[in-house]
This record gives sequence, structure tokens and C-alpha cells, in this order.
Amino acid sequence: MTTLHDPRTTFGAAVTALAEQDERIVVLSADSGKSSGFGDFRARHPERYVETGIAEHGATGVAAGLATTGLKPVFCAIAAFVTCRSFEAFRNDVGYMRQDVKVVGRNGGFTYSDLGPTHHSLEDYAIIGTIPGVVVLAPLDAGQIVDASAAMLEHEGPVYMRIGASPLGDLVPRGSFEIGRAYPLRSGEAMTVVTTGYIAAEVVAAVDALREEGIEIDLIGMPTVSPLDAAAVLESVRRTGHVVTVEEHYPTGGLGARVAEVVAAEAAGRVDIVAVPHVHIGYGPYAELLAKHGLDAAGLTTRLRALHEAAPPDA
Amino acid sequence: MTEADVRTPVRSAHPDLELAAARARRNVLRMFESTPAGHLGGAMSAIDIVTALYGRVLRIDPANPHDPARDRFLLSAGHKAMCQYAVLADRGFFDASILDTYGRLDTPLGGHPDMHKLTGVEANTGALGHGLAIAAGIAMGARMQGLPTRVWTLLGDGELPEGSNWEAAAIAAHHGLDGLTAIVDVNGMQISGTTAEVMDMEPIVDKLVAFGWEVQEVDGHDLDELVPALQARSDRPRAIVAHTIKGLGVRSVQGTVAAHYWKPTPEELGRAVADADADVASLSEVLA
Repeated sequence: MTTLHDPRTTFGAAVTALAEQDERIVVLSADSGKSSGFGDFRARHPERYVETGIAEHGATGVAAGLATTGLKPVFCAIAAFVTCRSFEAFRNDVGYMRQDVKVVGRNGGFTYSDLGPTHHSLEDYAIIGTIPGVVVLAPLDAGQIVDASAAMLEHEGPVYMRIGASPLGDLVPRGSFEIGRAYPLRSGEAMTVVTTGYIAAEVVAAVDALREEGIEIDLIGMPTVSPLDAAAVLESVRRTGHVVTVEEHYPTGGLGARVAEVVAAEAAGRVDIVAVPHVHIGYGPYAELLAKHGLDAAGLTTRLRALHEAAPPDA
Repeated sequence: MTEADVRTPVRSAHPDLELAAARARRNVLRMFESTPAGHLGGAMSAIDIVTALYGRVLRIDPANPHDPARDRFLLSAGHKAMCQYAVLADRGFFDASILDTYGRLDTPLGGHPDMHKLTGVEANTGALGHGLAIAAGIAMGARMQGLPTRVWTLLGDGELPEGSNWEAAAIAAHHGLDGLTAIVDVNGMQISGTTAEVMDMEPIVDKLVAFGWEVQEVDGHDLDELVPALQARSDRPRAIVAHTIKGLGVRSVQGTVAAHYWKPTPEELGRAVADADADVASLSEVLA
């Protein structure tokens, strides 16, 4: 049985540990630090902890200013607010100014379930991915949050990382995280599945269930949404002829759209995008919202089986 | 403003700055000679302030423009870019011949400044309401690292309705950022009309005081007032509310909304250039 970890405390502890070695790391909070796992950081490094109050746009601009002085600011708050509320500061002050700012959206996707659409973040990969030079990360599991935190702080330049809220186990070996690299999770020839973010756990369960039925899927974990590891996608799709993408994001501008661009340009195979319907998702427990939209392991098993059967055998 | 109220003769204890400002006004018009369209009004209203900063206040060295301990100036009102370009060229940050590329393909001198294209520019502004938060971050970062860096940012009065300014104003006051000074260039006009008509933000001084800032009002064209006001430091962020005249120096449009974005005819530009040349010449003569 895998141990489960809260992604926020995992993230906060990872940055706090890194800050012991790198005094340039500073943390910003928009009344969001404690919920982002930074209680310990604040206690250890009060001089490097900046509270802005509930002012995400202001916090993002301040982070850019801090970065111009050589510091490495990390700003974590609710994903919807650090992407939508402060988009222009992200685009201009961080992106256009090419500042070494790390913005982390927690409670991504609809993990803030019952708090409703104001607190859901189903367009963050798309909108932040439009900013030139910004890396977009969505770690697949708890260990990868730790490794991705180290990689993003080592990377010089703006990074956005989405993490969730539900407890996470481990899917990939620790210590090998590289920005822009795909992680093979299962191998097979029946079709390719590409996924990103914490929903990978549901996808792995579905792929393993289909393996029991004899459908052997090539499953690629893609913790870097942008820049996409196009070579890994094409290598697999050229073998299988069919790729299905799975993400907790709207279909527009997310992982599926990026995979489709790459596969269409090379005419490498058929693409199906499994994503959150383009509607304002309602309220409810996270697991039940996942099931309602066919994104839990059971729903994905059914959809992936159907998509496999729908694809022409010579595809 | 009357015909008699021109920029010469010397009016202050800083004749060299008066001459530098006259040269900077001429530099602005030199950019119009390259491409005859741009945000004249705000560039000319802010030019005495920016000249005073670069001439007397900022600890900067054009030969070492990336010194981590340098002072910073950010033009929050990025559309006044020609003002900053004109002063940076006069201070030797780049060769003045680059002014002749203004508005041309691949010029480093855009309608709004780009720190990666032009040495001396500290932030990519243009979208209004961004400079103050970035400047607050710089003041904070300098303090954290024990650097002597101070930071000034210039806002337009038409920029004040942007709510992000007030987020930044609150953050700066809460954190006691004594290394930060904001200058509000109150020329009283914006693209659609007077600021009073479009969105009246008065009383500006009271609003900033209420946010916890130390505030001083000055005549934004009086160098005797400007220099000490810009140099002064407090135990909290300072705001200088500078009353200015839109487009000052271009007599056909100064003090009017029409100065905001100016597209002169060749004749209008020629008259403005002749006036600016005369101002530079007469001040040079006085100082000779």
C-alpha cells in the first residue's frame, strides 16, 4: 500500500528544504502561505517570507521586482487566482520581463470541488502556456512534486506549476525529474495514452485494468505541459497510430490540444482528447465530480476501452 | 501658460539641469522627426522630473549599468517612454543616433520601454498599474539583501484608477518600504479628456496619505522644489504629487488634451523643433 501525501504540505516542505541551501529563495503569500505548506518556512525564515494580503496581482508584480534584484521568489496560492486574477502581471512582469519567478497554483483543476467554479482552475495550462518562455509543470505524483520543485528552482526563468489538493501516492521513481521530459509509465502497442498532473493515478489504474483485458496501452506521463516532449509523443504514436490524452482541464489549449498540434503536423495518427467538459462545473465531493465527468479510474477504463474499439484496426 | 512663460532664461539654482531638460525635450522632438506620432504630452510633462532624477538623485553609472547596488527608476506610465529615452541618451546610456530609429522596424525604442532592448530601462511597462508593485518588490529585495538601492517610479495621474496601484500602495506601506518613492505626474489630462471628467481621483494626496504614505506636493517643473523632494527619504514610502503641464515645451499643443498623442504636421513639428533649438541655444549661452 502506497503512503499518501498531501500535495501542498509536500510542496511547502520541499521548498523549505531547498531554501536551507539557497538563501536567494523567498516565498510570497497572498494570505495563502499556511495553506500552501509554508508554515514551517515562515517560522524558519521570517525575513524571506513576504505577506501581501489577498492581492494576487500585487504579489505577482512584487515577485517580479524581487527577482530583478537577484532573488528567487516562489508565490503559491489558489490556482485560479494566481493565473486568472493576476494574468497580466504574470504575462508582462514575469513573462515579458523574463524574471526568475516561480508561481505555483494549488488546489488546481476542480479539486476545490464544493467551493465551485470561482475556485476551480480548468484553463491554467492554456492561459499560462500562451506566455512565451514560461514553463508549465504538473507533477504526476507526490515524489515528483518534490523533484519538480527542485528542478523549477534550478531552472532560470519563469515557471508555473499546478498541484492539487487530494492526497497522492507515488507512480514514478524519485530523483530523475527533468523539465520538458516525458516519463513512460506503462508500455504497450494497443494505443498511446498521454496524461499530466495528479490525475495520472486514475489513468494508471484504468490502464492497468485494461491490461487485464489484454489491451496493452503505452502510457506516457507528461509532467511538463509546456514545452511538450513532442519526440516522446511521436515515437509512441508512430508505433500505435492512436493517442488519447487525459487531463483535468478544459479541452481548449491544454495537454490534448498540444499533443494534437504535434501529431497533426506529422500526420502521425488519430488523437482523442479526454478532458473536463467545457462548462462551469458544479459542486460536490471531488471523487464524485471526477466520476460524474468520467475521469475516475472506472470511467476512464470505459472510455479508453471504447476509444480503442472505435479506432480502425489499421490505424 | 503664456507665450512669455518659456523655458528660458534660467529660473532655478540648477541651470545645468535646465539645460539637460531642454536637450531632452529636443531629443523627444528628434524622435518625432524619425516617426511623427507618439505620446508627446506625458513625455514632456514628466521630463523635468526625470531629468532631475537622472541628473541629481539616482546613484547610477552609464558605464556600469547593471551594478546590483544601483538605484532604479521605473516608468510605470510606460507610454511616456520618449521621456526616458531622451534623458537616457542625454546621460550617455546609449548613442543619441539611436533616437533616429524611433518607431522604425526592430528599433530598441518602442512606444513602451523594453529592459532587454535598451540599457538603462529597468522594467517592461506600458500596461498601466504595474510599475508600483515591481518597484515595491525591488525596494523589498534590496532591503532583504542589505543593498543601498533606492527605487523611484513615475505614474501618470490617468493611471491611478488601475486597482493594482492600490494593492501595491497598501503592500508598500504595510512593509514600510522606505527605499521606495512614487512620483505622480499630475498633468490633469488623459486621452479622452481631463482626468476630472474621465475619472476624478482627487484628492490624490489624501488617498495616498490614507494608504500610509508620506506625501509631498511640488511644482513638477520647478527644479528647486523637485531635487530636494526626490532626494528626501522617510521611514515609509514617499509619494511626490507633481503638478505639471501636459506637453510643456511644444507651444502649439501644451496644456491641451491634444498633446496626449501628437501627430504633428511637418510645419507644426518644424516650429516645435525651432523653439526647442532656441531654448537649448539660449540656455547654453547663459551657461557658457
